[in-house]
Amino acid sequence: MSRPSDLIQGTLDLLILKTISIEPKHGWAIAKRIQQATDDVLQVTQGALYPALHRLEQQGWIKAEWKASETGREAKFYSLTKAGAAQLKKELAQWERLSSAVGLVVRMV
Amino acid sequence: MDIFRARVRSLFHKPQVESELGKEMRFHLEQQTAENIAGGMNSEEARLAALRSIGGVTQILEECRDMRRTNYLEECLRDLRYAARTLLANPGFSIVIVLTMALSLGANTAIFSVIDGVLLRSLPYPQPDRLVRLFLSVPEYPKFPINPFDFHDYRERAKSFESLAAYTHDDLELSGVDEPIRLSAFAVTSGFFHVLGVNPLMGREFSTKEELPKSDQAVILSNRIWRTRFGARADIIGQKLTISGRPVIVVGVLPPAVEHPGNMYRAVSYGDTVDAWVPFTFEGNSSERGSHFLDCIGRLKPGVTPERAQSEMNDLMAQMAREHEGDRNWKVMVIPLKQEITGKSQRLLFVVLGAAAALLVIACVNAANLLLARASIRQREIALRSALGAQKSRLIRQMLTESLLISLVGAVLGCLIAVGGVRALVSLLPANFPRVGDIHVNGLMFLFALGVSLATGILFGLAPAIQSSSTDLVKPLRESGRSTTSSAAALRLRDGLVICEVALACLLVIGAGLMLRSFVNLLRTDPGFHSDHVLTASISLPEVRYKTPESVGIFYDKLVRQLGSAQGVRFVGIGSDLPWTGYDDNAGGFHVEGETPPPGQFFHARYHMATSDFFRTLGIALVEGRYFTAHDTKDSGKVLVINRAMALRYWRTTKIIGRRMTFSDKPKDADWMTIVGVVGDVKDTPASDGAEPAFWWPVSQAPFSPVEMAVALTGSADMGSMANELRATVRELDPDLAVADIRPMEKVAGNSYSASRFALFLIGLFALLALSLAAIGTYGIISYSVNQRSHEFGVRMALGASSRDVLGSVVKEGMRLSLLGIVVGVGCGLALGRLLASLLYGVHASDPTTIASACFVIISASALACFIPARRATRNDPMQVLRAE
Repeated sequence: MSRPSDLIQGTLDLLILKTISIEPKHGWAIAKRIQQATDDVLQVTQGALYPALHRLEQQGWIKAEWKASETGREAKFYSLTKAGAAQLKKELAQWERLSSAVGLVVRMV
Repeated sequence: MDIFRARVRSLFHKPQVESELGKEMRFHLEQQTAENIAGGMNSEEARLAALRSIGGVTQILEECRDMRRTNYLEECLRDLRYAARTLLANPGFSIVIVLTMALSLGANTAIFSVIDGVLLRSLPYPQPDRLVRLFLSVPEYPKFPINPFDFHDYRERAKSFESLAAYTHDDLELSGVDEPIRLSAFAVTSGFFHVLGVNPLMGREFSTKEELPKSDQAVILSNRIWRTRFGARADIIGQKLTISGRPVIVVGVLPPAVEHPGNMYRAVSYGDTVDAWVPFTFEGNSSERGSHFLDCIGRLKPGVTPERAQSEMNDLMAQMAREHEGDRNWKVMVIPLKQEITGKSQRLLFVVLGAAAALLVIACVNAANLLLARASIRQREIALRSALGAQKSRLIRQMLTESLLISLVGAVLGCLIAVGGVRALVSLLPANFPRVGDIHVNGLMFLFALGVSLATGILFGLAPAIQSSSTDLVKPLRESGRSTTSSAAALRLRDGLVICEVALACLLVIGAGLMLRSFVNLLRTDPGFHSDHVLTASISLPEVRYKTPESVGIFYDKLVRQLGSAQGVRFVGIGSDLPWTGYDDNAGGFHVEGETPPPGQFFHARYHMATSDFFRTLGIALVEGRYFTAHDTKDSGKVLVINRAMALRYWRTTKIIGRRMTFSDKPKDADWMTIVGVVGDVKDTPASDGAEPAFWWPVSQAPFSPVEMAVALTGSADMGSMANELRATVRELDPDLAVADIRPMEKVAGNSYSASRFALFLIGLFALLALSLAAIGTYGIISYSVNQRSHEFGVRMALGASSRDVLGSVVKEGMRLSLLGIVVGVGCGLALGRLLASLLYGVHASDPTTIASACFVIISASALACFIPARRATRNDPMQVLRAE
């Protein structure tokens, strides 16, 4: 099931999974949350976000549910599945390893 | 599970998924708009900005769909629908391809199941690879049975074997329960079932104590007999039965389906064919090693190879030869049991499988060719689609879908054909074919069909798919679409395929021709006897009521006399065996007066018995002297009839009436037997190289009487009434006696042709199919080329070329291909010929006449296949063709 995760795609998956790990969110909220959390450094475009969401859903890592949003409109809320939680753990570990490795190189060289 | 649900949802609830996708996008848009308004834009500005920030909504939607991965499956379904539609649109084309695929897949699958049952499946014993058969061997008799006391020594001294056992055919009569029946039975040494790895269901197997002469009689029953004759009684062990007139105690019952491992003389077929086993007793003088009649089987110790066992046995035999004169000159042969059982049929099956595989390749090539031809017609469509952005891999996939659809439909039909084919094959199989009972239609067979069909589908689909997907985009589109020509590479590929097809067809036709020649040769050889209007049957006299050879002689004497006087019966003969039904391997042990055998050899001949008219009934010719007469009784001087082969071998002439031979080492005058007649040769089987030496005792003087005797009668009455007459006479003489195996001699003799007939029928059938496929292939490519060149022909004819010229040029083109194919085919035929050699009779595998005839057949077929489209080419009206430009 695991696909070759290049940095960008892998990172986006990680960001999405991490963002919805606390509570279910709809797509717009996910994008907003990532933007806010990174002080507008990372702006996830809709063109990248929605395909990623659908891919993650297809892989069984997240599941979607239609619920009323804060504004009262029906929105599609995404939440982690069991497999998704496991995947998040794995990706987090991978990320830690990668970033610390990159950090080492940047500092040493 | 989630994944599965998501996929299913994506695939089957498409409208819902789509509308949700739209709704999700709209929600996002609204949120963005709302945020923009909050940031101070007016509503219209906010909406536009939101739209801008999203980018192409359609692209996102499409990407989401992609992510759901439904496109792939959808495309496959669409390809499948499209493929089915194109196939249905050309029913003629499709039927030809699908049927040829189905036929060849069916043939391969059916033959595969036969091979699976006979050759691949392991024998039904524990660790069957350790089971071996042992034979004595001299150059003249590579496989000879074993002497009981030799066996005894082997069992004591040989170290390669975990256990050894010997057995010999010994039919019995079971009486006292219902009406008497004949039991197919074997006398076996102790440990026989231990060797096979079979434990009795109840009771025990024989011990060495029971091998002593005059020990208590014991019997082991097969599970089948125990159920059918004794109602599966639990208290059967220890019961007394009357078997062949003697009281016998049941000591064991076997589990179901114990398979007989096969025997040489009066062979009982492999499988659950034996009803009862009795102990073999070692009787007579243990220093006499001249008589050989035991079949021997052994279980090797783990890790011991048959080769090592054989070399140990040969050392042992050399040792024994120093102790016993009779053991000199013999070698021992150790053959794995499976090889012994299936070895002879292996070649036949592989040749037939090879022929079927060739047919399958031809069918594939044909399908590839037809698909290629069609692809070139669809070139415009393909070019258009490529121009509109269809990916190459997408086009290849679509064309492969089509070929896989063809091959899978072919496989389904092929499996149906195979199910029927297996049954037909089994009924066609030569007489005495091993392990026929193990041939079943099973899952493996369907798996095989599926695997082969997938492989062939890809094989014949890939070439056309790659070829056509890489066509030049511009040319087909620019041209009017009527007169597109294929690229040179495409044409070369198609030519190559036709050559390949013709070559394989040529190979099969040569094979079929050789089989036909062999078969005709077999039928044409003088069998040495005649079988038309001869009725045969088998009678066995139970030992209880016919204790002495004299009483047996008296019975047959009466039978011959009474039956011979019946209306419409001319001759009646009784003999130990009928021609071509096997022979007694026990062949040596006699001395010829005034002659010594060549050094290192011994006098040997086939033993037979016959009454006076046996030779006349079967039309076996008299060469010298006389047949037996009614005056050759047990009290008159001992006489023999021998065959020409024996006379020439030991006396180098047939003028030997009055010469004598004897079975006694120290003959008294009465022990000598005088040769009174020399008869014509009858070979062991019609395909044997030559006749073996043989002699006949008169039934009245025979030293022993076989369990079973053959009756033969001929006359003007029809077969049915002769059979009734025979039954009535036997009933009159002995109401308890059964007449078995009533059949015309023609049928008996026919069984000897069955292997040859089997090979001829199947290879002939495949060759015929291959020939038609090759013709279709040639026809296809020529008629395609005629269509392509119609403009050229129009111009040429308008410029004055005669229709003969056009015809000639088209036929020449086609014949060039088939001649190349024939060259390749004949080359392969010559190279592969030796594989066939063992199946041929009276014809060499490189027989020039056969090869020439096969070439002629192929040339005629391809000439016809070229001629039809060529005629069409000449019928084109030049004006019409040119105007159409």
